This record gives sequence, C-alpha cells and structure tokens, in this order.
Amino acid sequence: MGKVIVCRCEDVTLEDLRQAFAAGHRDLESLKRFTGLSTGFCQGKCCAAHAGRFLAELRGGDDMVCDPTRTRPLLHPTPAACFAAIASGEAPDQEDA
Amino acid sequence: MSTGRRVTRKPDCPVETGSQVAIEFEGRQLPARAGEPLAAALLAAGVQVFGRSLKYHRPRGPYCLQGHCSGCLMRVDGIPNVRTCQTAVRAGMVVERQRGWPSASFDAFRALDWLSGQGIDHHSMFTSSAATNRLAARFVRRLSGFGELPAGEPRPPAPVERWQRQVVVVGGGAAGLQAARELHRRGVRSTLFERQEVAGGRLLDGSDSAGGDGQGSWARLAELHRQLEGSENLELLPGTTVVAVYPGDRLQVVAVQERRTLVVEAERLLLACGDYEQVRLFEGSDLPGVFAVRAFDRLFYLHGVIPGEPVVLCGDSPRLLRLAGDLVAAGVEVAALVSGATRPPLPAGEGAFPLVPGRLPVRASGGRWIERLEIAPAPSEPADGLFDCGCLVSEYPPAPAYELAHHAGCRVDFDSACGFRVVVDDGGRTSNAAVFAAGHCTGAMSLEQALEAGRRAATGMAESLSGGSGRED
Repeated sequence: MGKVIVCRCEDVTLEDLRQAFAAGHRDLESLKRFTGLSTGFCQGKCCAAHAGRFLAELRGGDDMVCDPTRTRPLLHPTPAACFAAIASGEAPDQEDA
Repeated sequence: MSTGRRVTRKPDCPVETGSQVAIEFEGRQLPARAGEPLAAALLAAGVQVFGRSLKYHRPRGPYCLQGHCSGCLMRVDGIPNVRTCQTAVRAGMVVERQRGWPSASFDAFRALDWLSGQGIDHHSMFTSSAATNRLAARFVRRLSGFGELPAGEPRPPAPVERWQRQVVVVGGGAAGLQAARELHRRGVRSTLFERQEVAGGRLLDGSDSAGGDGQGSWARLAELHRQLEGSENLELLPGTTVVAVYPGDRLQVVAVQERRTLVVEAERLLLACGDYEQVRLFEGSDLPGVFAVRAFDRLFYLHGVIPGEPVVLCGDSPRLLRLAGDLVAAGVEVAALVSGATRPPLPAGEGAFPLVPGRLPVRASGGRWIERLEIAPAPSEPADGLFDCGCLVSEYPPAPAYELAHHAGCRVDFDSACGFRVVVDDGGRTSNAAVFAAGHCTGAMSLEQALEAGRRAATGMAESLSGGSGRED
C-alpha cells in the first residue's frame, strides 16, 4: 500500500490522521496541531473538507465534527509589500499614501 | 500515452487567443500565448512536474487552476512561490522550478517516499539531544525549503487607500453577479471585488449550462455583463483579492490589488466567494495529471489545452458526459468515463468511449505523472479494472470558501456533502446581522440555485438597509 495524501502542501497522509486520532486528537484543531494538516501554502483549502469527512466517519456524524480550525487573515498568501504601508494605529489617510 | 497539446476551442469561447510568444523555462525556450495562464502554457508545452512536495518529494503539478492549491508554484522572474495558474504569460518571462535535487524532474530525495511506506512519524525523530535536534532541523529546513529569496531589490510598499462603502460584494461568480444586478435594480450602490481578471466564476468555465431556458452559461454571463454595464450603482473591481474581514461596529474589508491595497469600511457585506475545487482521495490521487473537473474545464474550454491523453473521467453528473462528448468531438482520446452510480446518468455518446458504471477510482500510479488508474466496486474492495491514463478528470464536491465569514464571526457548520460552509437562512442572512452570504460558499448547489440565492440575499440585504426588520415572516 502506498500513501493516500490528504494534505498536499505538508504531505500529511490518511495514515497520519488515523494514528493521530488513535492518540486522542479527535477534533480538527488538535489534528492540525499534531500532524501539520492545513498549515501549508493553501491553509486548508484543499484538505479541511477531507479531514472533516474523516472525523465525521470516525465520530459518527457531521454534527460531531465541531468547528473548523481557527481561520486567521490572510486568506491567500500575499506579498508583505501589500501591508507594509499600513502602520498599526495609523489614522485613516489615503490621498498622500 | 502523450503529454500536453493544444486543441481547437469552441467558436463562441469568450477568452481571446493571445499572440504567439516565447518564455524561458530553465534555459529552454517554450512557445506560449500572451495572456494565457502560465500553468496552461507549461502544460501545453509538455511540462509535467511543476515542483516537489515538502516532506516526501513527491511530484507536484496544478490540480485546481484556481489559485488555491500549492501544486503550481514556481519561481517567475526572480520571485519565488508564484502561482503559475494565476500568472498571465508575458513574452520572455523567466520561469524555474524550486525544489528537488538535482532537479524537479528527477529528485533523488524521492527515495524518502519509496522507503517510508505509509508515512514517517517525525514527532520523536532526532529528539535524543538538543544538539541532534538542532542539526536535524537545519537539514530538514534545507530539504523542504520554499525556494530562494527574491532576486533584486525588495518591492516597495503598496499605497494603501481607505474607502467607505455601503455594500461590499465579495466574488463575481454566478451568485455575486446576480446579487449585484439585483442591488442595482433596487437602486442600492455596491462595490464588487472579484479575484480573477474576468468576472464569471462558474458561468465562465464553459461546461455548466445555466439550465431551464436552454441558454448556455457563456451567453448567460454575457447577458449579465450587459445588464450591469455602465451601471452607476455598481463599482466592479476585477483583479482584486479580499484577504481579510474584521468584524466590529463597521466591518473592515482588506482587498489587495496588483499595485494598491484597499481597506474598506462597509455597512453590509455580501459574501459570494464560491468554493475550492477538490478531487476524490485515493492512493496516488495527488499525482500530477489528476485534475479537478472545473480545472480541466478551464484548460479545455477556455484555453484549448489538453494536459495528457488518454483522458479518464470519474464522476456521476451529466456535465461529465457532456465534457466527454466535447472531448471526443475535439479529437481527444477518451479512455473511459467511470461512474460510481450503478445506473449511469445518460447513455454514452454513440459508443465513442466506454462507460463503466458502479466503479470508483482506487489507485493512481506513475513515476512523475499519472500513467495508470485502477478502479474497484468500492474503496475497500480489490481493484478489478485498469486503464492506461494520461490525464484523470476527477469530479468531487468542491469545498465552500467559508473563511471570510469565519473571520467576521458568522456561524459555520460541517456537511459531508461539501465541507465547512457558511450557515444562512432563506434570505442569505448569516449569524452576523451585517453579513449576508450566497452561492457555493454556503454549500453544494446548482448554478441555477446559486443565481437565485444571489438574488434573494441581495433582496434581504436591500430590505435590511431600508430600515425594516429585514425579515419577511
């Protein structure tokens, strides 16, 4: 048997998820922190639904999947130059930027 | 088995053919068409391995062609980690692959994959002493790194503009465009951010028919654009990616363009940000040459590129049969249409390709690109069929793009039929009174349903703005 890759960015396999679940990681946030699932370039766009189905099957229903992992900005990888000019606490000021 | 080539597109294709240009790919000159996605040009020129995966150095290639996955990243004109599927071809651009030793095509570290069976549990590796751990960390970082730093001077900071708008719509697909049209009809001004250079989403892909009146999706899109053209109520900004929503007294939406960043204070937000393409999971489903169905639609219908032959299609919907028929008509070799349903949706097109009912793909194999596909009655059963396969089109429910709603604190739930999705009522209201959502970010639906959801959410939003309770009970 070869690998079933669930998370392509971080190369997390279905077997990794099974082992993590057996070790007590039974929600998505915990699975993510243990395996690295959803922590790569795509931030879970390609694996969160698959991982949710994995949990739903093992825990006995969609209601048992609970929450997705914490989503934080930025939604897409973005060059730092796009934000370098937003100083923290800076007053709204656009025309002379 | 053959690598990528170009075929003739349908005469009414809305994407213009760019002029013939050359790009430089790792020292070689490759032909391309100006303006087409770089990833499509590379596939058409026969490039198969776009990169290597982080841990096992498995070959990687694009599968979503929507700017979401990490399969198509390359170094372009000295900038690392560029999504080649979202980068338009320009004459003379310099393109290199990033990971793999001695090269991405042949990577010696792939041996890790062959030797590691079903995976390496790295949690307790090299942890015997702090010194070993530090050494191993340095080695692993080099092995898996994300390319080299950009060449040349760092990019100067983009100017930031702060805007105030009453209504911001995120996403210019079927639901978003229809919502904008409804808001326009009701005299509500809106600002629509669309990530791609051309709005349209599913309406643009070419394979979905907008149903009912027999009107094709391209014709439907052209009609929507006509209705919105010159509207004083709509500020349509393509090429604008919304990357964050901050909840508060007034919502703040952060949108990024090529040359400026917008921080927009909005009274109402309508999320129509669609979904992410997925493929069915099985052994080897991450091989290059396995494409999500909409990714393949875009390659074939919009850009006239076939990444490999023979093509195997896996899925149950009638649109897949239509796609198979269109492929055969374009002279593309189709090996089979494999359907999990025991009774397939429609009879096969004049026996041009075998239709295999009651089977699922269970194993894809090949060195750097898919070469063979095994099928079985169920994932747990032994394979009972094998196809030579130069390209697999895998239909699987896309995952709703729920994240921006989650940023705004809206309720999200899980549905095995699609994934995490934004919870809405009939009027598109989310659990945050200022945020509405419509279309595929709220779950699986047809194109027709997405159009209707966009209209209803816009109606609900317009009512909430006119001072009523917003609810029609």
